[in-house]
Amino acid sequence: MPSRAGTPTGDPLIEARDVTRVYRRPRTSLTRPGEAVHALKGVSLTVRRGERHGIVGESGSGKSTLLRLLCALDRPTGGSIRFDGQEITGLPERRLAFLRRDLQIVFQDPMSSLDPRMRVRDIVAEPLVALGRPVGGRVAELLEEVGLPASAADRYPHQFSGGQRQRIAIARALAPRPTVLVADEPVSALDVSVRGQILNLLADLVDEHGLTLVFVSHDLAVVRHVCETVAVMNGGEIVETGPVDDVWARPAHPYTRTLLQAVPTLEGLL
Amino acid sequence: MLKVDRLSVHAGPVELVREVSFGIAPGERVGLIGESGSGKSLTALSLMGLLPEGVTATGTARLEGRDLVGVPERRLKDLRGRRVSMVFQEPMTALNPLMRVGAQVTEVMTLHGVPAARARERAVELLGRVRLPQPAQVARAYPHQLSGGQRQRVMLAIALANEPDLLICDEPTTALDVTVQKQMLELIAEVAPALLFITHDLAVVASVCDRVLVMYGGRVVESGPLREVFARPRHRYTEGLLAASRLTPRGTRLATIAGSVPPAGHFPGGCVFRNRCPHATPACESEPALTGDGHAFACWHPHG
Amino acid sequence: MRGRVNTALVTGGALVGLVVLAALVSFVWTPHDPTYVDAANKLREPGGGHLLGADKFGRDTLSQLMVGARTTLYVGVVAVGIAALLGTPLGVLAGMTPRGWQAELVMRVNDLVFAFPALLLAVMLGAVYGAGTLTAMIAIGVATVPAFARVARAATMQVMVTDYILAARAAGRRRTAIAVRHVLPNIGSVLIVQASVSFAIAILAEAALSFLGFGTRPPTPSWGRMLQESQELLFSTPRLALWPGLAIALAVLGFNLLGDGLRDHLDPKLRRVRAEG
Repeated sequence: MPSRAGTPTGDPLIEARDVTRVYRRPRTSLTRPGEAVHALKGVSLTVRRGERHGIVGESGSGKSTLLRLLCALDRPTGGSIRFDGQEITGLPERRLAFLRRDLQIVFQDPMSSLDPRMRVRDIVAEPLVALGRPVGGRVAELLEEVGLPASAADRYPHQFSGGQRQRIAIARALAPRPTVLVADEPVSALDVSVRGQILNLLADLVDEHGLTLVFVSHDLAVVRHVCETVAVMNGGEIVETGPVDDVWARPAHPYTRTLLQAVPTLEGLL
Repeated sequence: MLKVDRLSVHAGPVELVREVSFGIAPGERVGLIGESGSGKSLTALSLMGLLPEGVTATGTARLEGRDLVGVPERRLKDLRGRRVSMVFQEPMTALNPLMRVGAQVTEVMTLHGVPAARARERAVELLGRVRLPQPAQVARAYPHQLSGGQRQRVMLAIALANEPDLLICDEPTTALDVTVQKQMLELIAEVAPALLFITHDLAVVASVCDRVLVMYGGRVVESGPLREVFARPRHRYTEGLLAASRLTPRGTRLATIAGSVPPAGHFPGGCVFRNRCPHATPACESEPALTGDGHAFACWHPHG
Repeated sequence: MRGRVNTALVTGGALVGLVVLAALVSFVWTPHDPTYVDAANKLREPGGGHLLGADKFGRDTLSQLMVGARTTLYVGVVAVGIAALLGTPLGVLAGMTPRGWQAELVMRVNDLVFAFPALLLAVMLGAVYGAGTLTAMIAIGVATVPAFARVARAATMQVMVTDYILAARAAGRRRTAIAVRHVLPNIGSVLIVQASVSFAIAILAEAALSFLGFGTRPPTPSWGRMLQESQELLFSTPRLALWPGLAIALAVLGFNLLGDGLRDHLDPKLRRVRAEG
């Protein structure tokens, strides 16, 4: 795996070592167990404090699996994942409170990541309630921070546009004042005309709160705008990692080159 | 060849598409660009006579002199899949999961009077033409045994089966990975007799089409040769959309369009873009006409 | 689309409303005492003080139907209540841990109960504990548990794969909180539909049990027993079978239509289309 010089120098915050994840397909025969799917084949990744780290890959690359493992929403088959020096693999939910407070997620599709039967107020306050913290005026404060009126609190998710729903999801993620924000394709379900608004908002919030950002996307161009570092995933492995500008300008792995060539661009037309 | 004249689409009292006019010449590849709620898909569906229940189209659309809008379903059935055919976004739901792929390609031909034996033979040829390796084997497969990209090729084979005059593609690569998308786009550009390509992705349209129509709020706000429209957009919406598509270096702010696309029926009167437009003036309260020869736009305060 | 949805809902609601109204009114007023045996009115034709006539004991048919509606609703509410209270938590539990052994156990026991005919269960319980409305209700309720558990499990599994459940887990929500705050509200509409359909089945089951003599005992009026008592007079006085038969049919139709209408009305996907359309 080619690595490069010039990586950021903060101390390691998230460290994944040789992480594997094997799924078993449901059995189709009585005598044989279901087929094994190797979603991750020994992935190692370091995210440093204050870094904006991108993970790029197509469907089936393992990027979603890796993301779930980093957020302790799934257990790896093998390997270790440390958060701020503490091992998180195999920890029961009740001992993950520190992670649930420090690491928050923004999902791809704000239509499905917000409970349709809950008011925005309850959605945004959920991480606080789960941690047993007072809610107080925090919801209004958070809504303002993501550019929504305080009156949004009394409404339901379906009353908002895609971009506004993603703002609600970001407000929820910021509620417990996390140090790490994990964004899973946060703009790929949005219209082009609002994509910029959300990316600008994320950049502002990351700056303002000194957040560490893990940004998962299928689009290397978007990652290049947002992140300093990138890991390119293919077939359950990280095939290349390094400063995003280097990877963009001089891709070392054949897959990265294929990916770069395949991305349609407007350059040259404008 | 295709001539669409003042095509409008209504759902009850709500106007979803307003007086869209355009033409496509044989061999021409036209892109229809728009965000969600722009009316681009409804425009395409009305050409296929496939509008959902309760949604009606008015105006005219003629393909080689045959009317496509406002004709009885029986007549449309003859045209659909034969003179004009369509590839949809989601290839999994568009294919019958219980039927072998080859049989589905064969069916569209026998429906239009091709003898069964001849149709079976041609089905394999078609699967080869959309560059599926080992087409005879693929013909015996069920949809779930194929990848997303392969399924979309099968959809293309079905669409091409009766040598239509016009192929309509509605976001055909949106559900596909970028590396698969590239090959699919090249294939579509190559095999389409004449193409109406619907997408929200400016970069995708740029790699396939030679002419574009930009839709917003159910109207065509700008149209013209692709290179010209993209290099020198005149409508403020096109300008904003192109700027928003450009990913500037890290640390800089991205260009944005204020607000969000209103839901259907909630666009402002006059110029549909005026509530989001930084250049809007009281003049924009009256509706601008789409004017210009070749490169046309509907804007009171055009760019440049 | 809109017209059709409302037709089922409105028709079903009206029929169910009629049954409920009849039952409620019967508490304060009936044309006659429904259990009063009056030899003078024996098999009296409709008309006069007896709108629908009287039976072979001279009891007023309309009064019996009204009080019978009470029995019907009572049985339905208790049976569906038992089924919902037991079936929903079991289904949610099984749906939240689809691969766990608890889920496996719940669903296998479920299959076992499901395979057992409700009427047979009621007859057996009746034989052991004595026939009666309560035994019938419990038997029908227990026999309906698997239907609820299945529907709740399927709906829960659909909810569990959504991103908002993932988001709730990422926010640190525990399993019970997720079940109460996210799963239950989102499967509620499915359960309401199931409840109205089960209600219809419970009405039929109660009628059948009473007809067989394992349900409501005399003198409490019940539609099923009215049918049974009319049996011997079916050819001479068919109206005695017609009225309770019609009442059962309309009540069952009403609850089924209500279920159908609610299913369309509560489906958030359909509702979204309406909102945006």
